[in-house]
Amino acid sequence: MKAIMSAAAVVGVIASLLLLGMIFGVVKADTVHLVEGYMPMQMIFELAIFVAGFTGLSYMLNSMGMAIPRFWQGIGFVAFILFYLKSRVYPPIPFSVRAMYGTVTMVAVFMWMSSNEEDWKKFRQPILNVMDAATPKLKLIRTLFLIAIPVALWGFSYQSFVPQGAGADVDEPIELRTVHPAPPASTKVHGKTFVLQTSQNPYRVNPEGKYDQEYSNKLIVEQAMGRLMQANANPWDEKAEGYLKNVREGGEIFFQNCHFCHGDNLNGRGLHAFAFNPIPANFTDPGTIAQLQETFIFWRVSKGGLGLPREGFPWASVMPPWEQHLTTDEIWKVVLFEYWHTGYYPRTWD
Amino acid sequence: MGRQNGKKIWSIMALGAMMAILLLPVATSLNALASGGGEAPPAPAVKAEGDKKDEAKVEKGRDVYYKTEGIVAGAPAPKTTDGTKDYPRYNFESRVLLWFANQQHLYYGSFVLAVPIFCMIIEFMGVVTKDKAMAKKYDQLAYDFIKISLTAYSLTAILGGILIFTFLTLYPAFFGYLSSIFRPVMHIYALMFVAESGTLYIYYYGWDKMKEGLLKWIHLSMSVILNVIGTVLMMLANSWIGFMMSPAGVDEQGRFLGNIWHVIHTALWNPLNVHRILGNMAFGGGVVAAYAAYRFLSAKTDEERAHYDWMGYIAMALAVAFLIPLPFAGYWLMREVYAYRQQMGITLMGGLLAWLFIIQATMIGILFLSTNYYLWQALGRMRGAEKYQRYIKYLVFVLVVGFLVFITPHTMVMTPAELKAMGGQQHPVLGNYGVMSAKNGGINVIITTTVLSFVWYMRGNKEPMVPWKKFGNIFMGTFFGLAYVNIIWLAIYGYYIPANVRVGLSVPQVATTLSCLFFMTALNGVMLKGAKQMGPIEWGKISARSQYAIIMLATAFTWMMGLMGYIRSSVRLFWHVNEIMRDNSPWAYTHTVGFAANMISFNVLFFWVSILFVFWLGTLGAKKAPVEAKAHAPGRVPEPAHGH
Repeated sequence: MKAIMSAAAVVGVIASLLLLGMIFGVVKADTVHLVEGYMPMQMIFELAIFVAGFTGLSYMLNSMGMAIPRFWQGIGFVAFILFYLKSRVYPPIPFSVRAMYGTVTMVAVFMWMSSNEEDWKKFRQPILNVMDAATPKLKLIRTLFLIAIPVALWGFSYQSFVPQGAGADVDEPIELRTVHPAPPASTKVHGKTFVLQTSQNPYRVNPEGKYDQEYSNKLIVEQAMGRLMQANANPWDEKAEGYLKNVREGGEIFFQNCHFCHGDNLNGRGLHAFAFNPIPANFTDPGTIAQLQETFIFWRVSKGGLGLPREGFPWASVMPPWEQHLTTDEIWKVVLFEYWHTGYYPRTWD
Repeated sequence: MGRQNGKKIWSIMALGAMMAILLLPVATSLNALASGGGEAPPAPAVKAEGDKKDEAKVEKGRDVYYKTEGIVAGAPAPKTTDGTKDYPRYNFESRVLLWFANQQHLYYGSFVLAVPIFCMIIEFMGVVTKDKAMAKKYDQLAYDFIKISLTAYSLTAILGGILIFTFLTLYPAFFGYLSSIFRPVMHIYALMFVAESGTLYIYYYGWDKMKEGLLKWIHLSMSVILNVIGTVLMMLANSWIGFMMSPAGVDEQGRFLGNIWHVIHTALWNPLNVHRILGNMAFGGGVVAAYAAYRFLSAKTDEERAHYDWMGYIAMALAVAFLIPLPFAGYWLMREVYAYRQQMGITLMGGLLAWLFIIQATMIGILFLSTNYYLWQALGRMRGAEKYQRYIKYLVFVLVVGFLVFITPHTMVMTPAELKAMGGQQHPVLGNYGVMSAKNGGINVIITTTVLSFVWYMRGNKEPMVPWKKFGNIFMGTFFGLAYVNIIWLAIYGYYIPANVRVGLSVPQVATTLSCLFFMTALNGVMLKGAKQMGPIEWGKISARSQYAIIMLATAFTWMMGLMGYIRSSVRLFWHVNEIMRDNSPWAYTHTVGFAANMISFNVLFFWVSILFVFWLGTLGAKKAPVEAKAHAPGRVPEPAHGH
């Protein structure tokens, strides 16, 4: 047991030093970088390493007679999580999410500290001591708290009312934006009605010319780091026919019309993207086109921001209604290309 | 002896006759149901079309859902206009009044439907248990439960009346249409209510007379009948809301096509039934557990504390037993919603109402966190359980990571400045936690951890003595370990496969969790047979914090029920009956999240204040009880509430 705890303690010390080093510029900031495609699990894994490390450290200090008081262990852990979320994860996490995580961490620490009577007594003793103020020192601390808490609350309130940013402009208010509008049952494009639940992309076809999602799924780019094209599945190969040829044509339409906003990597960061607020949709995110039916995208491209449904208004979208500029076939091909390029499969209901 | 048998036979016959009389009206009315409910009267709003009735009789229509043809047997859905004719009103939002009446009726209705199921289970445990003292305790507990529900039962009926009057006075056109379609069902509903009341009163007042031998079994059987009637009642009421969400049995104009079964058996009826039964049980258990917690915290003696600690534990265990399958039933319901109408599914989970689902995820997480916390605290009343307590921190970590993934919104609340700093709507790290694949992983990790906590709790003061205990422990450890690996791996794998396959991945994930639940608890039970007791369970020696966890659990249930009811109802947007009858009142818009949350909180507060009154009434008849109990069984833990 001691050997395991010693190893964990060493890991804990190294991990903490490394984290501090990266944040304060002692070592390169990307010494341990978050790897694209693995970031969500990496974050959880890192936190697990820290928890194991801190446990080992606590165990070792305890056995050396230098135990950290329970109270400070709890406070320290909350502080660490807040620090980690603020400084380690990039791009910055919005305050609302950090607040949520911070609150849950505090609940977790409470659950840990009060899981048995002995720990609970140890944890709350310093708080009770300050409240009882039996010694002059504790009395001083209590008085400081009595002054500091209202001052801090006043400060927070004041800060929240003071205009922030350059030129002291007031920030726009937070907007609870609905990302996926509810689609209609059917949509009419160039005089033809498409039922969203049942329509299919006419260009998602196998060599026999039949609609075949399994066939096309095998030819999309590999969904991993670098997003590699499958062997013998290059749409820009002159000999490419059928589905791949349709993808190429869709790609040409995309780069003539869409990439200015949605970006050449389809990640919503085109040349004009940052002129908009919010920036255009990021198709490489697993929460956009990967969650939706192909017909949904067809409807969105055709009708644009103007065709968004009444509920959830205002939508804050400047997407043009592309049916005014593209033919139905061109829209289907663009949709085909978007799925091919991102490596996602359109949602189906079977 | 012969006289005794004669008495029993007479009692059985009398009971049978009473049940037959109670159920007779229902049986006779079933004829009307089988014949399609007869001819529907024209709705009040369309009386002008009454002269066309004969013509309409032979007209055929196409079922909007079943796509079958049927003879038009009802008037079209009224086309309402914003005015006092269709929407009579006070100087107040009618929808809010209806919301309040509906929610209160539902809270009490759920409670009184759930409690008899508990009574049935607990009474059965009392009948089959060999330990006489325990048998008596169980019997007393079941009686305490039904006594609480009896007052609540009257309140349910009163609230039901208020609800109907609210409908009739504020939404006459809509209610007229609904009752024209569901006329026979509503009558059967009323008759079932009579049968339910009659059975409940016989069950309650006959408790003492039927406490031994065959009569006890008959008494127990009555609880089964009571619950069957209660469940059918609920299913009939569900058919109305099922029809409003996913209408069937009518044509595009909303005209009834003569097949009442189609109207009842809509696309969402069965998922709603299953979800509501489980939800009611979890909610009912939570309320009774909160009652016990309240009595524990206000108890004056150790005996009282012991009794209410035990009562809270049993109610909590029942609540959690039904809480565990609840997310899966909810998942099925949502799947059916998506299958019925894609736009409805997206409005719920990705669109207009998606923010409410984040709140819901948080509430579900709170339910499981409170449950685990209670189980950990409960280890404190067992001597010998200390060995598990030091590992709780690791369970906290796993549980909280699952919880954080589960509650992370895909689209975050942020200021425009934060949005720019983040470079897009979705966060490249945390955004991945926002989609279904990760969330399925998160909730399954949470539930599996809850099972693990329960296994520890079962082992708290026991040491397995079976010869294969080492193998058993290793096997269990490996099983849990592999379960976590499988759940997490499938959650990650879900990002790399088509959506329709990903939806299917929830099946092996759920199967893994349920395997842990059934197989591991069963194996643990076998291992603990003949186990060495490290110390007794000291009922009443549990921390006050545990009781607050129970109260939190019950409040979270209540709040979540209000929230989900609101979401389910709101998803119809501006329709009274989806795509059939439009809501043209001035209140056909979706409330803001803040307003809805305040309204739900108000409903929760009102329910808890009123149920506290019910609890207080329950204590009035039990004031002398402990003295009587002591006189009968000195030295034994007395059971309070001996009012019968």
